[in-house]
Amino acid sequence: MFRKFLITATLAMLAGTTFAQEARTIEMTVDGLVCAFCAQGIEKKLRKLDATDDVFVSLEHKIVAVALKGEQDISDARLSELLTEAGYTLREVKRTAEPLDTIRKRTHSS
Amino acid sequence: MLSKRLLALAALALTAPAAAKPIAFGDGYTAMYEYGAGTMQEAQAFYAPRYWYSLGAGYLRLDAADEAFSRDISYARFNYLVRRWNLPEAQGNVFAYGGLGAARSDDYDGTKVAWNGGAQADYETRRIYASLKADYQHSSAFAHRIDTLQLGLAPYLHDYGGIATWFVLQARNYTGGIYDGIESAALIRLFGARAWGSVWFEGGVTNDGTLQTMVMFNF
Repeated sequence: MFRKFLITATLAMLAGTTFAQEARTIEMTVDGLVCAFCAQGIEKKLRKLDATDDVFVSLEHKIVAVALKGEQDISDARLSELLTEAGYTLREVKRTAEPLDTIRKRTHSS
Repeated sequence: MLSKRLLALAALALTAPAAAKPIAFGDGYTAMYEYGAGTMQEAQAFYAPRYWYSLGAGYLRLDAADEAFSRDISYARFNYLVRRWNLPEAQGNVFAYGGLGAARSDDYDGTKVAWNGGAQADYETRRIYASLKADYQHSSAFAHRIDTLQLGLAPYLHDYGGIATWFVLQARNYTGGIYDGIESAALIRLFGARAWGSVWFEGGVTNDGTLQTMVMFNF
């Protein structure tokens, strides 16, 4: 019984740790993202946040990706607010374990 | 002949499916200078606290093509984004602006108060760009408008961090005795941006074979 409890507790802890390690990048699909001005304004705004470690914008894929710093996070509502304040429309938010450099390489190679 | 060719290219650009905006982005500065083929020269500097408005000042120099007069207009201006359409593959904008300033000219004495107003509508994808702009200047001694139509085509699809290239055809109409007829120009535009700032350069020739150029910085 105790062994079963230990295994379950360990698995739960591992799952929690994995989740925390996984969702360190936010990938957003943004409408109106057609020019370098757009990208410049959005990047400038996102880089001012304490939670932001790095930012990547792809006009081709209409995505804005943010690598999060430490255990910090930015809520979906805040992201939507930031994009609206920048003059753009947030269409979709996805949280991923994929590092920013991998997204950069993936979008450049496709 | 050249005007006809330019119009044909403009039509082609429209069927094949980028603009200097008075507001680039929120908390951003814009500084630009345009040399318009010896007829007009304009320098502007704006600060945009939010993405939908900016405040700044400008200087406009007009030299009538028939050398009848030259005018120097200094002004303060407010730019306002009336409407923006954010589409998955495109963006459209309507801007309106207006301001007040002082004008000197060699066809009257002293300085006169001059007000200005205008509007700009643009539509842009990564491949094509169209912009229509009207600038109106008025004082007790003169009134004139400068209407500018630009159609652009990108030879390749650029991405952020790279250099964007646009082939632009421009048609400009002046009222108030500045230039007789429509002045057309073929331009090449180069644009590069990073988070710290962007540089925009545009250069070409008009149908009179005169240089037209513009440089703009955003940061």
